[in-house]
Amino acid sequence: MSMHTGAPVGVGVPLLDARERVTGAVPFVGNMRVPGMLVGRVLRSPLAHARIRSLDAAAARAIPGVVAVVTAADLGRETGPVLHYGRNVKDQEVVASKMVHYVGEPVALVSAETEEAAEAALAAIAIDYEELPAVYEALEAAQPEAPRVHEGMDSNVFVHAKLRHGDVDAGFARADAIVEETFTSPVAQQTSLEPHVAIAQWADDALTVWTASQAPFAVRTALAGVFRVPEPSVRVVVPPIGGGYGGKGGMRVELPAAVLAWFSGGRPVRVLLSRAEEFVTVTKHAASITIRTGIRRDGTLTARQITCHWGTGAVVENSAALVRGALVRLVGPYRIGAVQVDSYGVYTNLPSAGAYRGAMSSQATWAYESHTDALAKAIGMAPVELRRKSLIRSGETFATGETLHEVYFHECMEACLAKLGWDAPLAQPGGHLRRGRGVAVMMKSTNPVSRSECRLELGVDGVLTIYTGTVEMGQGTHTALAQVAAGELGLPLERVRVQGPDTALVPFDTATNASRSVGMMGTALLNAAAALRERLAGAAAPLLDLPPDQLSVAGGAVASAGGRSLTYAAVLAGAGLPSLDATGEHATNVGLDPETGQGVGSPHWHQGAGACEVEVDTETGRVRVLRYVGASFAGRVINPDLARLQNDGNVIYGMGPALLEEMVFDAGRVVNPNLSDYQIPSLRDTPDWLEGVCIEHEEGEFHGIGEMTLPPVAPAIANAIEDAIGVRVRALPISAERVLRELDA
Amino acid sequence: MKITLTVNGTPHALEAAPDARLLDVLRDALGLGGPREGCGIGACGACTVLLDRAPVSSCLVLVAQAEGHAITTVEGLAGPDGALSPVQQAFIDHRAFQCSYCTPGFILAATALLEQNPAPSDDAITEALTGNLCRCGSYRNIVEAVASLRRQG
Amino acid sequence: MDYHRPTTVNEALALLARLGDDARVLAGGTALAIMLHNRLVAPDALVSLERVEGLRSVEGTPDGGLTLGACVPIAAAAAHPLVRRHAPALAHAYGVVGNVRVRNQATVGGNLAEADYASDPPAMLAVLDARVRVAGPSGERTLSVGELLVGAYETALEPGELLTHVEVPAPAPGLRAAYRKFTSRSSEDRACVGVAAAAALEGGVCRSLRVAVGAACEVPTRVPQAEALAVGQPLTPALARRISEAYAEAVDALDDLRGSAWYRRRVIAVEVRRALEEVAG
Repeated sequence: MSMHTGAPVGVGVPLLDARERVTGAVPFVGNMRVPGMLVGRVLRSPLAHARIRSLDAAAARAIPGVVAVVTAADLGRETGPVLHYGRNVKDQEVVASKMVHYVGEPVALVSAETEEAAEAALAAIAIDYEELPAVYEALEAAQPEAPRVHEGMDSNVFVHAKLRHGDVDAGFARADAIVEETFTSPVAQQTSLEPHVAIAQWADDALTVWTASQAPFAVRTALAGVFRVPEPSVRVVVPPIGGGYGGKGGMRVELPAAVLAWFSGGRPVRVLLSRAEEFVTVTKHAASITIRTGIRRDGTLTARQITCHWGTGAVVENSAALVRGALVRLVGPYRIGAVQVDSYGVYTNLPSAGAYRGAMSSQATWAYESHTDALAKAIGMAPVELRRKSLIRSGETFATGETLHEVYFHECMEACLAKLGWDAPLAQPGGHLRRGRGVAVMMKSTNPVSRSECRLELGVDGVLTIYTGTVEMGQGTHTALAQVAAGELGLPLERVRVQGPDTALVPFDTATNASRSVGMMGTALLNAAAALRERLAGAAAPLLDLPPDQLSVAGGAVASAGGRSLTYAAVLAGAGLPSLDATGEHATNVGLDPETGQGVGSPHWHQGAGACEVEVDTETGRVRVLRYVGASFAGRVINPDLARLQNDGNVIYGMGPALLEEMVFDAGRVVNPNLSDYQIPSLRDTPDWLEGVCIEHEEGEFHGIGEMTLPPVAPAIANAIEDAIGVRVRALPISAERVLRELDA
Repeated sequence: MKITLTVNGTPHALEAAPDARLLDVLRDALGLGGPREGCGIGACGACTVLLDRAPVSSCLVLVAQAEGHAITTVEGLAGPDGALSPVQQAFIDHRAFQCSYCTPGFILAATALLEQNPAPSDDAITEALTGNLCRCGSYRNIVEAVASLRRQG
Repeated sequence: MDYHRPTTVNEALALLARLGDDARVLAGGTALAIMLHNRLVAPDALVSLERVEGLRSVEGTPDGGLTLGACVPIAAAAAHPLVRRHAPALAHAYGVVGNVRVRNQATVGGNLAEADYASDPPAMLAVLDARVRVAGPSGERTLSVGELLVGAYETALEPGELLTHVEVPAPAPGLRAAYRKFTSRSSEDRACVGVAAAAALEGGVCRSLRVAVGAACEVPTRVPQAEALAVGQPLTPALARRISEAYAEAVDALDDLRGSAWYRRRVIAVEVRRALEEVAG
């Protein structure tokens, strides 16, 4: 049996549903209308920390058109939803019972026939709060005397992850220079244009949820837990979603929808968040990172010590895993003699933080790549030369003690430098405008433990259907999977369909996050395709009177060496099979020692770089990114057009947290929860010249590139600013005002 | 109040509060999924429709204001035979979208621009499109798609 | 809610007189729609100006001035040949408002009546000595932009009054004007500082100078003592610097997400100077 790798891989085709996308026909959850659907709304805490003295919902229940009002008193009964839940720690309540811990925390839920009735019900719920002291900054919250976010806890620090590699004291003693800096990133918001939206309906003790989620199976598990039902009783369906960027990675809006549906007598309930609610539902972790590195005059990095405090809000959700996972994302892609990392997850009285595209790596890369330039400066070496000397290479040992393979940091950086024209003279426009160049490189882990399954079904009509739990959110993975499947079975792309995610129809997948899907699901698909080819050969063997191992499966047919062949359809028809299917799986299970952070940090490493040219107005501090090039290590590119979109999109997305994005709070209340006051990059904000490079290697595996060019953006810009005007900004976003203050200092 | 809205060439008689947002009426009463709410304050352009061939944010238009005007949504661009408009086709050819939540807004903004100015300069393209936000960051391809339709000469 | 579509100014005034506080005037509606949707206002009636005759045209006056109807869309004002010819800087100020959709919907009159401090045109209208025509129960009156705008989101319009026209006088001979919108964050942001400047120059000497800073303060702010420094002088870089520093000192700068008061004063010093350099050519 021979392996077929077909032409479709490596070809830039449009998204499979491109026509739907340009005609407005994509079936986003927000466009679904389920008969009898009710409006679901959430009443939220106006205070950052308070005791609920009393709550009276009687008047709300009496409003015509109101179907259900759910308060804590309705929960935790014999059947139905529990009160307390949580993904890593049970620190959340479906609605608050006695205490509220952040502005925006749900305190009551309402379902109603109309928007107006729901609104009136929210207004009619009377709550008396007793305000309590609150704490908003992670560093402050980590202090022993800080007010506790959750009563009865010894500390607001809910996780302290450690990495210990080598003797840092000895390393610092060997150093010619030691540089210590602190870098901060503020709370930000993922800001998918499609808000969180879910429709839930109960029928015969089974729950169906249609949702814009990146993690259908995780949502299923979480909902099954809340309702104490077996997982198969919960069905989660995810049509294409309008952007996720990490913000749709856990159970968020599905919960109020499902709970309201439970209390609404079989009626479906839709919860659709307003833009303002988005800002209190999921955010990016604020981070304060202190990084200290010893360096020798020749550029050898002798020791590095990193302390990071992550502000996670009042809810852990997935942050324990993210803060632990951050250990290896904080180090940087360098050969360093000894490394010590302390990564603290800290509760604050702010909305819940979760993954934000380039999760934790954006904050970390901001610190270590700005710091690389400072180290170079300390020994009088050009920043690029220091990177050339110290970037880690294949076969070398990383701070986890593992030996790295498939390492392409140098190639990523050099590709950027070449494309940008790093060594070409930089023309200065003169006057108050100054230009400069900067570069940054990043190293990011993917999920250490995760699993993808993929089922392929070939019909008698010769159509191949891929059943997958991978969510299509514009990144193009469904299209990429179809291309791989078409190649593996030698079918034209038009004969390949993609089904899912629908937990009732498709096999398990961890989630569509951490740029894992083309790698994990793609490999599961390769395995499924191999199994399907085997089954085809097995089915064809009696028809062709040859043993299966003398048959090749390719080009849509099973053939013998002697030239006899049967199309797949003929094989199925001849064997009397209505269809033939096969399932493939790919799983990873690596990890670190919890005390030392030694072990294997990631099944493979995400690698990216960026280089840019900026122009700074020295009188106003305004920064314009004139030219930018981003590079990703991609293994083998499946669809160059979509890969380019991801590369560019990451750079543009990354310009948001770099230059613009910051949630501003007043006593825990977001003061800018709208797209006028919280700004994301527009067309005019993007560089006039934007290039992308995918580093490939022959026979490479599929590597996700959903984030690789994002984390380098902020430090590359900051490094370019320093090159231009000699000042160093260490707090994000790099606002014009911040730059001007630094110029004054 | 009773309102007659002309959407994609077809008049629809309906009952609506005068201050209902055009966006909500198009979506909920007429079942159109092309105009989408992104920000609700006219900043993102996901709800763009054409009012007498000029782009507006349908989240900022009261339904009563739209009466007597020709409303075009993305659903009205393809021909009766389903043939895509040149702008729609160019968006596919240039891979000018990822999640596509913003795409109808961009396509309508580009359609209005090219009707008004068949040979727009690069600056004119930027000016016409920069008020539409694409969080996936497909801007470069969007501009290329529109520029490809520029009448030469 | 009732929705009224009067066809004349008098009919609109009569409706406003009859409905009193229960009614809101609707022009383009870009601001009102958000307030209505978020229940920040809940009037019983809207009086829409969409069909009122005579409010949708731009006319030239015999002496070279301009009259803009209150319901002229901002995009139309920005693109109108008469505006572009007689007041190109005003056309520019209209052209940088919001985004293309907002400009298509929002109106010249609504823009002033809303008195949003972050808006671009008011500062430009102020330096061009524009006046607004206001119709009311007791007849018509005219106000300067400075008289109209009394605070952030606050005007001198009385209940029942209607802003009907904006009149821009003919430019003085040799008048050169400029509007500069400075955004501190995204290019799509509202202005952090807006500077409008108009100088009448004769043989390189400034006969009169008007400069208004907007968006950085509650209302467009002129500093007459600073303007006076230019009279009879060539607009040299040194003079531009002196004037801009006087503005930075005098303007009561606001503190908001687009910049602190400190930052705005710094930018005012820069942007006033750049505006003067622009008008000095």
